[in-house]
Amino acid sequence: MNKMVILVVEDDAPVRNLITTTLKTHDYKYLAAVNGESALMEASTYNPDVILLDLGLPDLDGIEVIKKIRTWSETPIIVISARSEDSDKIEALDSGADDYLTKPFSVEELLARLRVALRHSEAMKSELSANQSVFENGGLKIDYVSGCAFLNGEELHLTPMEYKLLCLLAKNIGRVLTHTYITKNVWGSSWDGDVASLRVFMATLRKKIESGPDAPKYIQTHVGVGYRMLKVEENIKEIREDF
Amino acid sequence: MKINVFIRELLITLGILAATTGIGILFYHLKFTEANIITVYILGVLLTAIFTQSYGCSVLSSLASVLMFNFLFTEPRLTLHAYEPGYQATFAIMLLASLITGTLANENIRNAKEKEQADLLAQKEQLRANLLRAISHDLRTPLTSISGNAGNLLMDSGQLDDRTKNQMYLDIYDDSQWLVGLVENLLSVTRIEDGRLNFHMTTELVDEIVDEALNHINRRKTEHRIVTEYEDDLLFAKMDIKLIVQVIVNIVDNAIKYTPEGSVIRIHAGRQGEFVQVRISDNGNGVPDEWKEKVFDMFFTGDNKIVDSRRSMGLGLPLCKSIIDAHGGHLWIEDNVPHGAVFVFTLQAGKVKIDE
Repeated sequence: MNKMVILVVEDDAPVRNLITTTLKTHDYKYLAAVNGESALMEASTYNPDVILLDLGLPDLDGIEVIKKIRTWSETPIIVISARSEDSDKIEALDSGADDYLTKPFSVEELLARLRVALRHSEAMKSELSANQSVFENGGLKIDYVSGCAFLNGEELHLTPMEYKLLCLLAKNIGRVLTHTYITKNVWGSSWDGDVASLRVFMATLRKKIESGPDAPKYIQTHVGVGYRMLKVEENIKEIREDF
Repeated sequence: MKINVFIRELLITLGILAATTGIGILFYHLKFTEANIITVYILGVLLTAIFTQSYGCSVLSSLASVLMFNFLFTEPRLTLHAYEPGYQATFAIMLLASLITGTLANENIRNAKEKEQADLLAQKEQLRANLLRAISHDLRTPLTSISGNAGNLLMDSGQLDDRTKNQMYLDIYDDSQWLVGLVENLLSVTRIEDGRLNFHMTTELVDEIVDEALNHINRRKTEHRIVTEYEDDLLFAKMDIKLIVQVIVNIVDNAIKYTPEGSVIRIHAGRQGEFVQVRISDNGNGVPDEWKEKVFDMFFTGDNKIVDSRRSMGLGLPLCKSIIDAHGGHLWIEDNVPHGAVFVFTLQAGKVKIDE
């Protein structure tokens, strides 16, 4: 039995049943809430490890729920949205959500996202990673003190911009960072030109750390939304293949 | 903008008035009767009504014509007086005649425009009706299978063996997946119908977009091998992400649907001057020449009959064409060597300035 607890917030009964049944068959413990108020209650009472949150709730706006939860908790939040427009995903991510799922989603996709979030949650508890002077993820290592990055023991030759990007992604490992969030943190501004050059830097950075077809994928592209660094473990390949 | 139109119309009105006055002066010197000059002025008003949109211009033209006629051609000349009492009647009739002419001409033009708009609307309505018909037909088939299979599974009290049940689950899954694809296409259609306003153009890396599209391809169809090739690691194109992903998904899905299992689908992207060219080729049986244009028509399905086998709705490729057209690019079919089809589309290349 898994010790992790997942809070499912969804007002539509069939979809809620689908999610809870999926969780049950994969041995996850879960709590369910049907609106924003009860979601806040459950979240504050039971402190779940991951929250699956539907954006279209009857009482509160999903974005409000995220903002409220973020005032006291860093629990990973995966947003579920029926609208396929990117703008509300981006708003949710910028409000503090970690990841998103668009309806209709497949069960495999749901499980894959959940695994990423749970790993993230576990990592946060065990090491309080933000203040460490060395970051390690698979073969990737960043020494924040000396300002150097290494791949499989060899030093990477990164431009200052690439190094900044890598550090930002590493510090937010597991979270989908929006283009706006990244450009604001790296350039201090955000306009279309920045986003376009961000793509170029990201492409060159990825070439340096993900060369070769069998190399693990450290950075995931979310087209139209942003980027995220994934924790590299043995079953990481399966996550990419699920969706 | 509005002021510009107003000035343009005023200039047209004045130009026509000057021209008619010139002709009037010519007639006057040729000793033609005044009736000729009046007719020329009325013709002038008629032309003004045709070439300008606003009713005001033809009224202005009517009044100015009468004044000009009075000023230039009646005794005493170059004054606004007239000696002969009959001229008052002439002026009144001339004004009336030119006003009526102007009004009639204006109305005629308006009617013609309204008819044109009504035709366009009817055409759109027709397209929408066809679309609705095709969609409701295509919705019914998978929905029948989904609800029927689910109903049978619910009522089952042990008669169905595991293999049968498995097949039913699979059918439900496949049909709902097909509906998911249909909904994606419909969303794109409504965005196209609403016009360019809803386009969200950004500069994107082509390989990221192709990867994103391939993530949406039905994973069960792995009997086909999909290969990607890029001439340049940093190939940028201007696009609406959602719509271009939809184009690639539709073309690749189409290739999977119409080529035998084990076929190779190759996606190649490269720069061609100001454009990025994406070539999606397969080594199937190819597209006959007489179909090369028709596959982009709504509802064309090869044998051109609506049949009850799934995936009959020829919505995917016409949608691709409208999307690429709206992006200012082109979409066409070529023959692959030695056999197969190549779907080629172009998009405007994007320029990226790097400031570090």
